[in-house]
Amino acid sequence: MKCPRCVQRIHRAAASCPHCGFTLADADARFGAEEVRIRCLTDSAGILRRGDREKVELAMEKITRRFPQVFVAIYTGSLGEVANIRQFGFWLLNRSAFEDVPVEKPNEAGILITIDPESKAAGMVFGYLLDPFLEEADTFECLSRAHAYWLEGRYAEGILRALKHLDGILRKRSRQARRDPEHFERKVMPPAQMGDLVRRIRAGHRPVIEEEATAEVLP
Amino acid sequence: MRFLPVIATAVFIADAHALVEPALPVWGLKERAEMEATGWIPGAILLTDAPVPDEPEHAAPEPLQVEQPKPEEIAGDLKPSSDIAEKFLPAYFAERPKSFLIDPQGLLSPADYRDRLSFLNYHASDSSIDLFVYVMGGEQDIPSEVREEEMIERFFSEGRPAVVVYYYLGAPQRSVVYLSPSITDSVSAAEQHRALESSVMQAFEKIRPAEQIEKFLVQMSIRIYWMERMLAGEPAAGDAPTHVVSAAMTQAAAKSAKLLELQELAAKFAAPAGMVLGAIVLVLGFNRWLRLSARYRFPDFEVEPRLGGAHAAGVGAVISFASAAVPPASQRDQVPDYLRRA
Repeated sequence: MKCPRCVQRIHRAAASCPHCGFTLADADARFGAEEVRIRCLTDSAGILRRGDREKVELAMEKITRRFPQVFVAIYTGSLGEVANIRQFGFWLLNRSAFEDVPVEKPNEAGILITIDPESKAAGMVFGYLLDPFLEEADTFECLSRAHAYWLEGRYAEGILRALKHLDGILRKRSRQARRDPEHFERKVMPPAQMGDLVRRIRAGHRPVIEEEATAEVLP
Repeated sequence: MRFLPVIATAVFIADAHALVEPALPVWGLKERAEMEATGWIPGAILLTDAPVPDEPEHAAPEPLQVEQPKPEEIAGDLKPSSDIAEKFLPAYFAERPKSFLIDPQGLLSPADYRDRLSFLNYHASDSSIDLFVYVMGGEQDIPSEVREEEMIERFFSEGRPAVVVYYYLGAPQRSVVYLSPSITDSVSAAEQHRALESSVMQAFEKIRPAEQIEKFLVQMSIRIYWMERMLAGEPAAGDAPTHVVSAAMTQAAAKSAKLLELQELAAKFAAPAGMVLGAIVLVLGFNRWLRLSARYRFPDFEVEPRLGGAHAAGVGAVISFASAAVPPASQRDQVPDYLRRA
């Protein structure tokens, strides 16, 4: 987990970045605090042709069908020179209301791809539902698949490649989670409190593995 | 240069003088007498003026006393053969033969008869065209009252197609081939002629009549294989001399037999194999459909919000595609801008 502004590692449940103090309020100050109503595929930059849009929408629907809890959103737009695409993605997924997504699917289940054709950068952000299952490296792999196409301005093809790879990763993670859900649960558990630490010291004679297991089970 | 004509004239005169031949030597009487006194004069026989003596006369050889052929014997030589004895005619031509080898006169030895008949039986089991062989003496003739074509039509119109050979033992060049009416149209006369010609050539590679007929029949059997292929619609064998390619033809015949066996096996197991294959394809297709229509779910864990974001704080990667000189591999380490090298 990294801070969208300073890209430093942050711990679970950090209210603000311990390095730079970044919060959503900082992003609100830059992009606005109001809710934004957009569609899942919003091509503000106008880089997708009509035929391309249909292909991309089909690929997005396919992921939605296969992973009923999840939806994919794509936003293209020019963010200007000063805007940071990482912060913008973080802000957009928290502040947007997707018109064509059922209400029972909150933004926690969203995966947002942001493309800025002007600064020629793209980012990927995902909600809390996928927090235990997706790594930064996974999103990087998806965007890497699209890199060659986006270099040539073939945005739709790049998006399709990225979505295809994302589909594969999600399937793999879902299978792993079904086999070993605890492995993923441990990733999002709140950090140990001071009382746990004392208890662990007192029970020093017990094997380390057992201690850790006890610590994880305790609230 | 002024003396050049003078020199040329001088040279010309000298040459003309040299062209005059010297006189031949002449015997002096004294010299001749001296030489004759020694007893021998080289080339005397040529130098004499006496006439050349005649060749000695030889007495003419007496003609051999050989008995001259009688007129009736000379007339007998003109007759090439004799007709088959009348008592054998029914056995030859009365009905469709029961055996593939017809030799009522017993011209073949029992052992040879048995071997040839065995070969013809084998041929009949391997080929769709039977081979009937009428064995006759090398100097015999079929009586004129026997009409071969009519007989073939009468006896061989029904049943399996057949090739009928009148084979003259010891004179394979006199052999005659007839085809049953069912295959006459399909096998050209040229092909029949080629078959007969190659068989005769094979026969002539041997001296003994029994060995000749053996070679003849083997070659004819091979040619019948090609006739079968013609019947099946395939082109005839090439015009190349068959005695050269006969080994290859034998191999081809063997290969064809194997092919037939394989076809029979295939026909036998085609249906079960098809069913098994179909079942496998069905299972694979069903499996594929299951995978495509599968739905994947994630366990829902409670995640504490971070950085004040109510829905998301999972910031993923950012990639720049501004330049091909900056590939994704060089962007893998996502570090703050101030930590990047200039």
